[in-house]
Amino acid sequence: MATGVGRRGSKWLAAARTPLGACSIVLLTLVVALAVLAPILWQDRAFAVDTDAIGQGPSGTHLLGTDSLGRDILFRVLVATRLSVTLAVLATVIGVTVGLVLGALPSVLPRAAGRLVISVVTIAVAFPGLLLALFFAVIFGVGTHGAVLAIAFAMAPSFARLAQTLAASVVGRDFVSAAKVAGVGRIRLLVRHVLPNIGEPLVVNATIGAGAALLAFAGLSFLGIGVQAPDFDWGRLLNEGLDGIYLNPAAALAPGVAVVLAGLAFNLVGEAVAGVVGVRTRSARIGRRSVPAAGTAAAEEHGDDALLVVENLQVAFPRPSGWTVPVRGVSFTVRAGEAVGVVGESGSGKSLTGLAVSRLVETPGVVTADRLEFAGTPLLTTPERELRGLLGTSLAMVFQDPMTSFNPTRRIGRQLAEVSEQHQGLPRRKAFERAVGRLRSVRIPAAERRARQYPHEFSGGMRQRAMIGMGLMGEPRLIIADEPTTALDVTVQRQLLRLLARTRTEGDTAILLISHDIAVVSQTCDRMLVMYAGRVVEDLLTGDLAAGPRHPYTRALLAATLELDTDRAEPLTVIPGRPPEPDRVPAGCAFAARCPAATDQCLVEDPVLESVTAAHRVACWHPQEDAAPERAREAVTAGGAE
Amino acid sequence: MSELMFDAVSVRYGGRRGLTAVDQVSLTVPAGQVVGLVGESGSGKSTLARAAVGLAPVSAGRVLLGGADVRGLPRRRPLQLVFQDPYSSLDPRMSIGESITEAMPRGAHRGSAGRRAEVARLLELVNLDPDRAATLPGHLSGGQRQRVALARALAGRPDVLIADEITSALDVSVQGAVLNLVRSLQRRLNLSMLFISHNLAVVRYLSDQIAVMYLGRIVEVGPAEQVLTDPQHRYTRELLAAAPSAHSSLFDGDLGDLADTEPADPHHPPSGCRYHPRCPIGPLVHVDRTVCVSEDPAEGAARRRHRAACHFTASDLAPTAIPRGGSAS
Ligand code: SF4
Ligand code: SF4
Repeated sequence: MATGVGRRGSKWLAAARTPLGACSIVLLTLVVALAVLAPILWQDRAFAVDTDAIGQGPSGTHLLGTDSLGRDILFRVLVATRLSVTLAVLATVIGVTVGLVLGALPSVLPRAAGRLVISVVTIAVAFPGLLLALFFAVIFGVGTHGAVLAIAFAMAPSFARLAQTLAASVVGRDFVSAAKVAGVGRIRLLVRHVLPNIGEPLVVNATIGAGAALLAFAGLSFLGIGVQAPDFDWGRLLNEGLDGIYLNPAAALAPGVAVVLAGLAFNLVGEAVAGVVGVRTRSARIGRRSVPAAGTAAAEEHGDDALLVVENLQVAFPRPSGWTVPVRGVSFTVRAGEAVGVVGESGSGKSLTGLAVSRLVETPGVVTADRLEFAGTPLLTTPERELRGLLGTSLAMVFQDPMTSFNPTRRIGRQLAEVSEQHQGLPRRKAFERAVGRLRSVRIPAAERRARQYPHEFSGGMRQRAMIGMGLMGEPRLIIADEPTTALDVTVQRQLLRLLARTRTEGDTAILLISHDIAVVSQTCDRMLVMYAGRVVEDLLTGDLAAGPRHPYTRALLAATLELDTDRAEPLTVIPGRPPEPDRVPAGCAFAARCPAATDQCLVEDPVLESVTAAHRVACWHPQEDAAPERAREAVTAGGAE
Repeated sequence: MSELMFDAVSVRYGGRRGLTAVDQVSLTVPAGQVVGLVGESGSGKSTLARAAVGLAPVSAGRVLLGGADVRGLPRRRPLQLVFQDPYSSLDPRMSIGESITEAMPRGAHRGSAGRRAEVARLLELVNLDPDRAATLPGHLSGGQRQRVALARALAGRPDVLIADEITSALDVSVQGAVLNLVRSLQRRLNLSMLFISHNLAVVRYLSDQIAVMYLGRIVEVGPAEQVLTDPQHRYTRELLAAAPSAHSSLFDGDLGDLADTEPADPHHPPSGCRYHPRCPIGPLVHVDRTVCVSEDPAEGAARRRHRAACHFTASDLAPTAIPRGGSAS
């Protein structure tokens, strides 16, 4: 908890140091100070009538001149701060409250009544705000009260809409359903679960709304239907100043500037708060610090047919507290036409390894490697522009959720065709024909028709096929598939894995299959890399899996994997403990805390990946020897896991 | 302890051209037993669970809890649901203790000290440190959150627990621990349980009975071991064959062209047997089996072994080998 609060606090501090944050703080302090102090200090001078100095221009005694009664304009503008700001804030508070109630009602009322509220709000939102304000001003009558209500009600619909949209997104979440199942009533649901989770964006928008209210209020007063004499706010001052604009432009300019500055203060504060609470995230700036050096790794022998060579790959991300290194010196090779699997649990660095190879790690992430070569081209040193062509045609990526990889507003066929138009310069028609051909080759039924459909018309499995088809638009030599079947059903998963396997044999395409599922990898790949805490801990042929992996983690993972013949009478094997956080990897072997074979050496010395046979590498001081991985179930206390 | 019974339950969404997510499903979870429900996404298995707890509209049929229609029961029912995603099922702004407290029956525990003691007891029950009651979910791992979700469900003192894909968002090494916990809780508290998962191996490990759902219907149900070793419906066999395993090949039992057919559209379910466009022993392979297209195999299912909804169940035919060696134990 304490760290959470601390992080929050430092976030606010950091925001205050940005130009935006600093500006907004200064402006807001100024406005608030004036609103509080000005009437106390200068009330008299703002009202002092000086018949000797009527309608004068700026002078030494009256810095901005005087008005038609000889009152000092500067002091009047300063004193008017309180009324202008108070009325704007008041209108905002009323407007937001009404808006919240309107927005929340549909989730509490019976369905029909709720729909009615929603449609009323929808109609009201369609009117321009100022028009609504004028309309209400007429209804509520001329004067301060009328104007406050008018502006409040003009603001309410848009807030109601915002609250409705935000609430709808929260109501759809499981925790609200869970509360419903637990028997929590509607009102409590709203107060305890919905409102707290939409509070931040509402506050931000209310702050910005206050700026708008200020402006609108000045407008109403300017038109003479807002604040009435003898009271005055900036709008009225503006109105009065305008009469004598040719004699004394400052009289009109000063209240105008005041409105702009105060409005700006509210808006900037809103923006700054939004930045901190993450309504719109701004990436924190990190000073250039040197990336921690990766340890050296034994260089491997690469055959002539090496397609992808990765040596000592490291991916690091800056954190306020220093670097965190989720991928720590990974080395492997993929030969042409080979299928290699990368297995690991969440946080093992397997996905980042795939992203690093395809140059998709986004800043501020930093990728380094002793060698990172694809088809003989160094990926880290070759300029981006030259790489684009190579990667565009020879490397295909398939992600877990193909919905995010396709543009939802364009037809599948066109999106595929575009690849060929760009990278191979095919004319439109030819490219489309090729797209249909590729969709057919990934066995999408009725490819011609489906090519003219949009992504949402495809089922998950078909979309994933289309994604592979898109990769095949070029002549890919490597397909990197990151959890391509995780979101799919088992029957569809098998279809897709078969498709990948077939694609590989037909086009001599290598495959790097990243998965959490050791069974999926062993069914599809020749070789698998087992990753743990950012390292490859074992590299073995999948054929050798039955004969026995050597690394204790691989063994534990295999034993923990449920199969259709797992003994039902026994408790399941679990791996006690949990993997280290990437920014707190221990000095020795990262698995030591969970490893049944760990010794003192493991705690201090980090094992490196070394060959045990020609096709088998293990990073462990005490590789397990016995042949068959007996599915021994370690006696595990029930609470042991994680 | 009481049984949960779905009596010809249907769930329809949308108007006349809407979608029947669950179509006349009858299923009984006997008192103190675990019934596993498997099926692919869109089969309606989660909708069925949500219908039981009132999160999905029951448009026909009844859900009975201990013989009483759940719609007539008070708001806090002895029937609880654990959700799939532990990252979204806990309110990020509530401490786990508050979340658990909220689910306790009103008046069950005297004063805040009583409630705190109950929270501590529940956290201990799911093997979490009771001192962590003030923690926000953001500071917990996925497995720990799922334990909290379990504790919250148990706070409602349920007789019946529905677990909807509760391990599919978890890592392999954590999954085992949660399943061990679920099993020991079920035995200790003698809960009746409907355990929903797309993973046959997970369902098999926990369940006394297994029901298989396809496109809104139950196509086969029976004792767990029997359904797995002697599946009657062809779809059950496909599921078994497709279960990934470190010791089977991808290309076992290739289905030819049928392997690439698309899952049916639940808005327009196929006529007769809903599985017929994908069935490798159906009308697309055996042209004479027109009955699959014209007649609903749900009729008369009660007479068949495992209540299989198929005109040509495995036991009607010559005994064939199970698709995968070693699937039976
Ligand atoms: S190096 Fe030691 S701690 Fe690490 S896996 Fe090997 S035996 Fe276990
Ligand atoms: S009824 Fe016909 S189509 Fe349906 S599962 Fe049986 S054989 Fe296949």
